[in-house]
Parts: sequence; C-alpha cells; structure tokens
Amino acid sequence: MSLFSSLSVSASGMSAQRTRAELLVENLANAETTRTPEGGPYRRKDVVFEEDPTVGSFTSELNSALGSNVSGVSASQTIVDDSEPLQRYMPGHPDANKDGYVAFPKINPAEDMVDLMGASRGYEANVAAISAVKDMIQKSLDLFR
Amino acid sequence: MSMSTPISAITPVSIPQLSPSASTPGATPGAFQSVLEGLVGGVEKSQAQAQQTVNSFLSGGNEELHSVALAAQRSSLEFDLFLQVRNKVVSAYQEVMRMQV
Amino acid sequence: MLENAATGTERYMNLLSASQKLVSSNIANVDTPGYKAKDIDFHAELASLFGTQEPSAVEVSGLKTKNDGNNVDMDREARRLSENALRFAVATNLARSELATLRSAIEEGKTSS
Repeated sequence: MSLFSSLSVSASGMSAQRTRAELLVENLANAETTRTPEGGPYRRKDVVFEEDPTVGSFTSELNSALGSNVSGVSASQTIVDDSEPLQRYMPGHPDANKDGYVAFPKINPAEDMVDLMGASRGYEANVAAISAVKDMIQKSLDLFR
Repeated sequence: MSMSTPISAITPVSIPQLSPSASTPGATPGAFQSVLEGLVGGVEKSQAQAQQTVNSFLSGGNEELHSVALAAQRSSLEFDLFLQVRNKVVSAYQEVMRMQV
Repeated sequence: MLENAATGTERYMNLLSASQKLVSSNIANVDTPGYKAKDIDFHAELASLFGTQEPSAVEVSGLKTKNDGNNVDMDREARRLSENALRFAVATNLARSELATLRSAIEEGKTSS
C-alpha cells in the first residue's frame, strides 16, 4: 500500500489549501463589512498549517523509518485577528460611533488576493502529485501482464 | 580327426534385475525422481513467497504493488520452468522405456 | 533460481516509490511553517551494499528557507515528481523485458511431443 498512502497525503494537501482559500475568499468578501452578529466589524481570519504524520500511514508504515517521514498536512487552526480594527472618519455612517468614526476590517485585499493565488497553486500541485502517482500505480499493474 | 575343444555346457546368464526402486516408496530415489523433487521444492517455495506478498499487500501492509507483481511473475516463471523440465524428463523416460532390449 | 529475476530493477522501483512519497509530502506541506523538504539520496542508496533495506529519507540540501522556516521549492518538487514518474515507467518496461527474455528462454526448448 506504500504508494497508495501518498494519495492520502496529496488529498490532505488539497483539503488544507481549499480551507485556506475559503477563508481568504471570506476575507475578501467581507473587506468592507462593518456590522457582524457578534458586534463590531468583520475580523480577518487566517489558517495555520501543521504537518500531520498520521495522514496516509498504516500501522505497519509508522514503524518504518521512511514511513515516519511521510506526512500530510492539516489546516489545524483558524486564527481570528483580534487586534484593533481600522477607524475611518465617516460621521454619516449608520455604524459610526459618537465621535463619527466607523470601525472597518483590517484587510488588505491585494495581499489576500496574492495569498489566494498561492492557495490555488498549492492545490493544483497536489492534484499533479496524485496524477503522477496514479501513473506509477498503473505502470505497476502492467507488470502483471 | 583332430581333437576339438570339448563344448562345455552353456551356463545360464543371469539377467540383472531392474531395481524396483522407482515403484517402491522409501527406496533410494532414481535420478529422474530427485531432479523432479528438487524442482517441485523450488516451485513451492516461490509460490509460497508470492502468496505471502499478496496477502501482506491485501491486508494493508507495506508492500509495493510492483513487488507483488514481480513476485507473482517470478512464481509463474518458476512454474513454467518446472513444467518444461518435467515434460522433457517424462519424454526422455518414455524414450528409454521404448528401447528394445 | 528465478527468485533473483529483475531484483535490481525492483530495488530501483522501490527507491522511486519512496522518493515519490516524500515529494508528495513536500508538496502537501509547501505552506507549512517550519517544514523541511525531504527526499531519497539515490547515489547513496544505489552505492549501498544493503540492497534489501528500506531507503532512508534525508533532508534536501541547498534550499532557501522562507520567513516561516519552510524551505520547500515548488519548482524542484514539480521536477522531481515528473522525473520519478518517467523513470518508473522506464523501470517497468525494463522489468517486463527481463521477464519476457526469461520466459522465452524457458519455453524455447518446448517440443511438440
């Protein structure tokens, strides 16, 4: 099952990048959201990637030296930015405070767009890995003939 | 009339018995039998090995698919070899048996 | 006697599979902070006398480390991915022709009697 286990590793990569992309899209969509159910403006979300050694390993593989070096990834934590939001002076705004300032999310759309491209590239790379491994497995099947 | 050597009686010649070892179990094996036994042993070993590799693979072990395929192929070649040698041995045996004594 | 057929090629395929697993791990962890790229050292493994042992993973040298401690180079991984797959295809063809040669040698002496 050795080569098959790398398929799980790539799948975990796709999953993690997808989660990251979803959060970035949420950030971009809410770049100007001043009002949320929790009160206050939208707060930027970020994801933490963590190496996950349990992905794609069967018990027998965990015991091998190579098996313990093969690891997938998981988007283990979502971080919410709880620093002070941006204040803009807009006295006529419905969400303005008594001083006329409105709290806006601290989001730089350009930065998140670039991040999103990174997530997309990472996702594609994992897809390419699955494709290459699938080729190898099919070549192995040819040996049976 | 000249003296001729007296002709002595013809002494019977004993025909050496073909040893019945081929048909008696437990007796000293003939050349044919030991060759075949050796081959059978080799085939059994490679088939057992191939089976073990397959089992390990199917139960989620660490086997690579190409190793399983190669083990199966080796076992098949071993068996092929055994078959060809057996055929040759059998036909040689039959040839011998056909000889007019 | 035939249990050593194509064992050299098989070992090479083992190395390629092991490398591909590590390359997949590297790709999955391209954005993981602190992750270091790993691979198989082919030269060392092929030169090693212990042919039946499992290959060992080594950290890839000569990579630049990013700010978050990750040193995966996506271009390198993409190249290794294709290389491993292509070499594996060559190896399977080699193995098949080795086996075919043995088979025809065995069946060469077949007579119709």
